[in-house]
Amino acid sequence: MEQEHDYAYALMMDALDGELTEGSKLELELHLQMCSDCLREWHALVAIETLLRTTPALAPAAGFTQRTLARLPNRRYRIWALTAIYLVLLLCGFVPMALGAWAMTRLLPILNQPALINGITHSLTKFMQVIGAVLMALFNGLGEVVVQQPAALGWFLVIMGVISVWGGLLRELLSQPQRA
Amino acid sequence: MNEEQLWLDQARKGDKDAFGQLIDAYQIPVYNLAYRMLNNSGEAEEAAQEAFIRAYTRLESYNPDHKFSTWLLSITSNYCIDLLRKRRAIFLSIDEPLGAHPALRSDKIKEPEAQVTLNEQQEMVQSLLEDLPDEYRQAVVLRYWYELSYEEIADSMETTVSAIKSRLFRARKLLAEIGVKKGLISALEQVMA
Repeated sequence: MEQEHDYAYALMMDALDGELTEGSKLELELHLQMCSDCLREWHALVAIETLLRTTPALAPAAGFTQRTLARLPNRRYRIWALTAIYLVLLLCGFVPMALGAWAMTRLLPILNQPALINGITHSLTKFMQVIGAVLMALFNGLGEVVVQQPAALGWFLVIMGVISVWGGLLRELLSQPQRA
Repeated sequence: MNEEQLWLDQARKGDKDAFGQLIDAYQIPVYNLAYRMLNNSGEAEEAAQEAFIRAYTRLESYNPDHKFSTWLLSITSNYCIDLLRKRRAIFLSIDEPLGAHPALRSDKIKEPEAQVTLNEQQEMVQSLLEDLPDEYRQAVVLRYWYELSYEEIADSMETTVSAIKSRLFRARKLLAEIGVKKGLISALEQVMA
């Protein structure tokens, strides 16, 4: 019975939209003759449909156009402002590029000299050699300390172990559920 | 090129008078939609003006393949939905009555019978609409006052046609229930008789 009502209701919606076929119209009419609940619902729907379709639109108070126009932003200024911002952004990109190109044309003949390139390469190589020597000295020194003073390494390992144990213990304690 | 397209082209170039022509042409649909949604004349005027301002500043985004009226009504209804959400958030506990449209506040005794009937009709409509959820009210107003198709309503509410059909289905059912509960159906039958 519930399904019949739902079906009838769907037919009513189609009827309100003017999309009911002749066959469906007959079906709906037959159902409405037999079902007083659906008939009441149909009358309510038709009454509201008629009300909504016949109620005219409301107009704003006189002078609405002038009041709205007075609030409109100036579109021409907006267009100019946007154009100006666009140009500034364009120049922000263009100016550094132009400066870079100019600098390259000025510097390229100097940079192209073989003596300069060789000098830079030599300096970089020397710098890397110095860094390598410093790192090697540090490793060697550390190795010697470990060999000559094994107790220092032992103490270091003990301290690290204690820290690790206490850290684990603390985590366990913090993860315990709180008692109410 | 029709008159509306000409106004739109001129308005895009910053011609306020051309946009004024568009306001003249669409002020009633826009205001009516705002009033039906907000049920308050002051807020409806404000919302209608705001909708026109938004349309003016976003004219570049208007797609001429769609109707201008649908685009404008979409801006209006979405703005009204935002206002209703804000209103609900701010005035949740305040029972201040909202300002009715001047046409609904007039002295009925001194008016001709037809005007009285029309006022009663408008009051009934607002009484029915005010109890509908916002999205249902939006769909109902767009369907009944502007006769937009399901596709156009779905387009303006940025949803699917089946969602709109479902909303209208439920909205009509709810309206019938509200009408019966408020005793409007019998009153309506008297007014319509």
